[in-house]
Amino acid sequence: MNTPTLFGLCAAALVGFGLYGLIIHPQPLRKILAFNLIGSGVFLLFGAIARRGAAVGMGGDPVPQALLITGIVVAFSATALAVALVLRLFDEAGSVTLASDASAKAQADLPDA
Amino acid sequence: MTTSVLLLAAIGAPLALLLACMVPGLRKRMPLLLALAPIPALVAALLADDTPVVLGNAQFALSFAMDEPGAMLLLVAAILWIAAGAYAATGLRGTVNAGSFVVCWLMTLTGCVGVFLAADLVGFYFLLAVLSVGASGLVLQGGTAEALRASAVYLGLALIAEAFLLAGLVMLAMATPDGSLLIRDAAAAIPASPWRDLTLMLLVVGLGMKAGLVPLHFWMPLAYGAAPIPAAAVMSGAVVKASALALIRFLPFDIALPDFGLPLTTIGLFGAFYGVVIGIMQSQPKIVLAYSSVSQMGFLVAVIGMGLANGDASATQAASFYAAHHLLAKGALFLAVGVIATTGRRRLWLMLLPAAILALAIGGLPLTGGALAKLAVKPVLGEGLVELLATLSAIGTTLLMLHFLHRLAASAAPDPSASAPWGIALPWLLMFVAALVVPWTLYLVTGIGTWADVLQPAILWAALWPILIGAGLALGLWRWGRYLPRVPEGDIVVVGQPAMRVIVQWGDALEQMEGVLRQWPVAGLSLLTLILILGGVMFNGH
Amino acid sequence: MPHSLSTQDVTTPGGLLLVLAVLVPFVGVLAGMVLGSRSAQRVALAILATGLAIAIAIADALVRSGDAVVYILGGWTPPLGIALRADGLAVIMLLAVAVVISGIGVYARADFGTPQGVREARAPLMFWLLLLAVWGSLNLVFVSGDLFTLYVALELLTFAGVPLVSLSGQPETLRSALRYLLYALFGSVLYLLGAVLLYGAYGTLDIMLLAVRVHPEPVTWAAAALMTVGLLAKTALFPLHLWLPPAHAGAPAAASAVLSGLVIKGSWFLAVRLWLDVFAGVVTLPSAQTLATLGAAAILVGNIVALRQVRLKLLIAYSTVAQIGYLFLMFPLAAGLAAAQLDSATAVNGGLLQAISHATAKAAMFMAAGLIYTTLGHDRIADLRGAARALPMTLVAFALGGASLIGLPPSGGFLAKWLLVSAAIMTAQWWWALVMFVGGLLTSAYVFIVVVRAMAPAPEGWTPKACVPYYQQVAVLALALCSFLLGMAVFCPVDVAQIGRAVVPGIGWP
Repeated sequence: MNTPTLFGLCAAALVGFGLYGLIIHPQPLRKILAFNLIGSGVFLLFGAIARRGAAVGMGGDPVPQALLITGIVVAFSATALAVALVLRLFDEAGSVTLASDASAKAQADLPDA
Repeated sequence: MTTSVLLLAAIGAPLALLLACMVPGLRKRMPLLLALAPIPALVAALLADDTPVVLGNAQFALSFAMDEPGAMLLLVAAILWIAAGAYAATGLRGTVNAGSFVVCWLMTLTGCVGVFLAADLVGFYFLLAVLSVGASGLVLQGGTAEALRASAVYLGLALIAEAFLLAGLVMLAMATPDGSLLIRDAAAAIPASPWRDLTLMLLVVGLGMKAGLVPLHFWMPLAYGAAPIPAAAVMSGAVVKASALALIRFLPFDIALPDFGLPLTTIGLFGAFYGVVIGIMQSQPKIVLAYSSVSQMGFLVAVIGMGLANGDASATQAASFYAAHHLLAKGALFLAVGVIATTGRRRLWLMLLPAAILALAIGGLPLTGGALAKLAVKPVLGEGLVELLATLSAIGTTLLMLHFLHRLAASAAPDPSASAPWGIALPWLLMFVAALVVPWTLYLVTGIGTWADVLQPAILWAALWPILIGAGLALGLWRWGRYLPRVPEGDIVVVGQPAMRVIVQWGDALEQMEGVLRQWPVAGLSLLTLILILGGVMFNGH
Repeated sequence: MPHSLSTQDVTTPGGLLLVLAVLVPFVGVLAGMVLGSRSAQRVALAILATGLAIAIAIADALVRSGDAVVYILGGWTPPLGIALRADGLAVIMLLAVAVVISGIGVYARADFGTPQGVREARAPLMFWLLLLAVWGSLNLVFVSGDLFTLYVALELLTFAGVPLVSLSGQPETLRSALRYLLYALFGSVLYLLGAVLLYGAYGTLDIMLLAVRVHPEPVTWAAAALMTVGLLAKTALFPLHLWLPPAHAGAPAAASAVLSGLVIKGSWFLAVRLWLDVFAGVVTLPSAQTLATLGAAAILVGNIVALRQVRLKLLIAYSTVAQIGYLFLMFPLAAGLAAAQLDSATAVNGGLLQAISHATAKAAMFMAAGLIYTTLGHDRIADLRGAARALPMTLVAFALGGASLIGLPPSGGFLAKWLLVSAAIMTAQWWWALVMFVGGLLTSAYVFIVVVRAMAPAPEGWTPKACVPYYQQVAVLALALCSFLLGMAVFCPVDVAQIGRAVVPGIGWP
C-alpha cells in the first residue's frame, strides 16, 4: 500500500467518523466538532491527491495546496460562526439544543420581529 | 383598421376602467360607469368584420378576431352586461363595499369580452383565467358564509378545469404546424394531431366542467344562489357561455368524430334531465333558475356533441344561436328575481307577466326566441332517439320554468303596495324586450331561417304541445309537489363533506410524516441515503 | 465533447463589469462596517443603485455581443488561473437578483433604519451589511467559472444568510440559525468532497475544461452524487428541508424575503450548472428523474403542509418548500429533450423563469406578510380581517404574487408552466405536468384562503396597530408586479437565456 492510498483511507475514516457524529450526536458543539472532522478528512484527501499528482521534481501539485489553505480558512470561519451562535444561544436560552422544538407547534408560537 | 379600433375598444374600455379603480377617488364613482363599460363591445359586435387584430412580434403575438359565433354571443352578452350593470349600479348606491364589487365586475367583464374575442390560445387561456377569478370574486360579494363556500368551490373547480384546459392547449399548440398559436389553426390541426384523442378529451373535460356538465355541475346552484342578483345574471347568462363558445371554436366540426360526439351528447342530455329533476325539488327561485341553467347547458352541449358526432359544421351556428337566446332569457329572469322580490301584490302581474313569457320561451313557447332556438338546433339533432329526448327535455324545461314562476310569485314583497325602484325595473324590462326582439333579428339576419319557416302550423304545433304537456305536469307538481323530497342546493356536493374529512385525515398523517422527516437524525440519514440512491441510479444507467 | 460552449480564454468587452458586480457589494460591506449603522444604510442604498446599473450593463454587453461575457482574472487562463464567465442564464439571474434586492432594500429602509438619537444599532447595521454580502456572494455564484470558487461563494452565501435568520436575537431564531448553519455546512462539505474527487480524477476544477474531460466512470458518479446532494441540502429540497420553515418564518420580513427569494437560488443555480454544463455527459435520465421525483414530493407535501399552517409566515415558508420542487422538474425535461435530439432550451428556460418568478413573487409575499404583521400585530391566518381595508395595495400584491405561484397568466409562473408542460409532453413525461397542475391547485387553495380572510371587514372600531409607510407598500407591489408581468418576457425578441450556451443537442445524453 503506497502512501497516498494510506492517507486516502485515513481520510475516509475521518469522514466516516465525522458523518456519524454529525448525524447522531444531539449537542450542537459535538456536531461542530464532527463537521471539522469531516472537513479534515476532505482536506487530507485533497493533500493525498496533491501528492499523487505531483509533477516531476515537485513535492506536490501546487493547485490543491492553494485551494486547501482557502478551504481551511472557510472551515475555520464556519466553525467560528457556529460557535458564536452556540454561545449566543447559551446566553439567551441557558441551554443549547437543536431539537427542543421538533413539533411545528412550538414554531407556530415563535415570536417574530 | 376600424375593426382593430373596435375590438381593442371593446376589451380596452372595461380594462381601462378596471385600472382606473386603483385610484380610490375614481373607484367611488365607478358604479355609474358599469352600464357604459360594455357599450364598445356592443358596437364592436354590430360593426366589426373578421379582420384579426394582432398585438406583439413575430415570436409571439396575441390576436383577437370576430367570428360569427363570437359576434352573435358578444352582441347579446353586451346587452345583458349593460342591463345588469345598470341594475347593479342601483343596488350599489350607498353601500360600503362597492369598491370590491366594482373591481370584480369589471374584471369579469374584461375577461368575458376578451374570451369572446380571443383568437389565440394563450390570450384565450389568460382571459379565461381573468374571467374565472373575477367571477369567483363576484360570488364572494354575496357576503355570507355560503357565498364564501360557493366562491371557493367555484374558483377551485374553475382552476381544475383550467388545468385540464392548459394541458389540452399545450398539446394543441404543439400539434399545430409552424408554431401558430391561433385557435383557428389549432382546431384545424386536431384531426392530424398525434395526440388527437387525448387533446380532445382534455379540452372536453376542461370546458365541460366550466359549462356545468353533470356531475360537475354542483358549483352552479351554489354560485348563482349565493351571488348578488346582477352578478348571478351575468354569470348564468354571459360567463358560462364562454365555455360553450370555446367548445364551438376548438372542436373540429369538419370531420365526424362519433367516439367523442355521442358520449358528449349523452352526458349533455343526462344533464338536461337531471337539472329538471333536481330543480323541481328546489324552492328558492334563484336555485331553480340555476338548475335550469344546468339543464340548458346540458342541452347545448348535447347539440354540440351531435354536431361533432356527425361532422356537421352548421352546428356551430345553431349552437351559438341557442346559446345567445339562453343568455338573454336567463339573464333577464335572474334580474326578474330581484325585481319581483321588491314588488308587492298590487303591481305583481305587471312584472310577472313578462317573466312568464320569458320562462316559457326557454321551454320553447311558439313565436318566442326559444322556439326559434329549438327550431335552429333541430337539424343538428337529427331524427330518432335524440330528437325524442330533445322533445322530452322541452317538456321538462316547461315544467321546471312553471315551477320557477310559482316560486317567483311566492317570493313577492310582503307589502302589497311595494314597487321595485325604476333603477332595477327598467333594466329588467329592457332585458325582456331584448330577449323577445334580438333572437328574431338574429334568426332572420344571419339566415338561420325565414318567417315562413317559423309560421307553418305544423311547426307551431310541434313547439306548442310539449308546453301544454309541461303545463299539465306543472299542475300535478303544484298539487302533489310537497311529497317530493327536498334536495339541498348543489345536490351531490354533500358527498364532498365525508370526502373532505378523509382528506383532512390524510393531511394530518402527511403533516406528521413531514415532522418526522424534519428531525435532525432522520434528515441526516436522508441526505446520505440520497447520495447512495443518486450514485446508484447513475451507476445503473451505464 | 459534450458541449461546444464557446471556449474563449480572453476577456471580452464588458468583462470588467463582472468583477465589479462581485466586488462592489463587498466594498459596500467593508465601507459600511467602518462607517457605522447610519451610514451603512446610505452606503447600501447607493450600492443597490450602482449594482443594478452594473447588472443592466452586463445584460447589455451580453445582448450586444451575442456571446458570453468573460473576464480572465490577472490574465491567467484556466486551469491555472480563474475565469469569471456570464452566459445568458447567469446574466438573467444577476439581473433578477439585482431587481429583487433593490426592492427589498427600499422596503427595509423602514424596518432597519437607525433610530434618531442612536449612533449605532446592531440589527440595522448587520442587516445592511449582510444584504450586500448576500448579493455579492450570489453574483459570485452566478459568474464563477470554477468549482472551487463556487464552493467559496456558496459558503459566503451561507455565512451571510445564517445571521439574517437570527437578527432579532431571540433563542428560537438563534436555534433556527444554528440548525440552518449546521445542515448547510453538512451539505457544503459533501460538495467539497465531490469537487476534490473531480480534481483527483481530472486535474482541473474549471467548468469548461471539466465539461470536456469528464467521462462516465465510478469516480465521476460519486462526485456528481456528492456534489448534487450537498447542493440539495443547501437548497432545502424535500426531504432535506428541515432547516427552512423555522429559519424563513422566524426571520424579519425583509430577511425572509432575501432568504426565501434569493439565497436558496444560489445553490439551485449551481446544481443547474453542474447538471447542464459539467456532468451533461455523465448524468442519466433516470438520475434526473430521481431529482424531479424529490421535486414532485416537495410540491405535494410542501403545499399540503402549507395549507395546514395557522401562521401566515410559516405558510409562505412551506410554500417555498413546494416551489423549490418546481425548480427541479426541469432536470428530466431538459435531459429528455436532449436525449431526443431536441433543443433543451424549452425546459431550461422554463426552470429559469420559475426561479425568477418565484424570487420576485416570494420576496413580495414575505414583505406583504411583514406589513400585515406590523399593521395587525399578528399574522394568524384565521384572524386577518381588516387587513385588506388597511393595506389594499399590499393585499393586491400578495394576490398577484400568489397568482404567479399558481401559474395564472400573464405571470412568469404561467409562462414557466407552459414551457415545462410543453417539454413534458414533447418528452412523453406527462406525469410531471400532472404534478404541476396538482401543485397549482393546492397553491390556489391557500392563496384564496389568505386573500379571503384578509378581505373580511374589520370589526367595528378597529384601528391598525401601526401605520406602514407608503413606499413600503409600493416596493412590495412593484416586486409582485414584476412577477405577475414576467410572462410578458415572451414578447422578448431574442432568447437572452440561451446566449453563450450553444449546446449541441443530443450528444452526451444517453
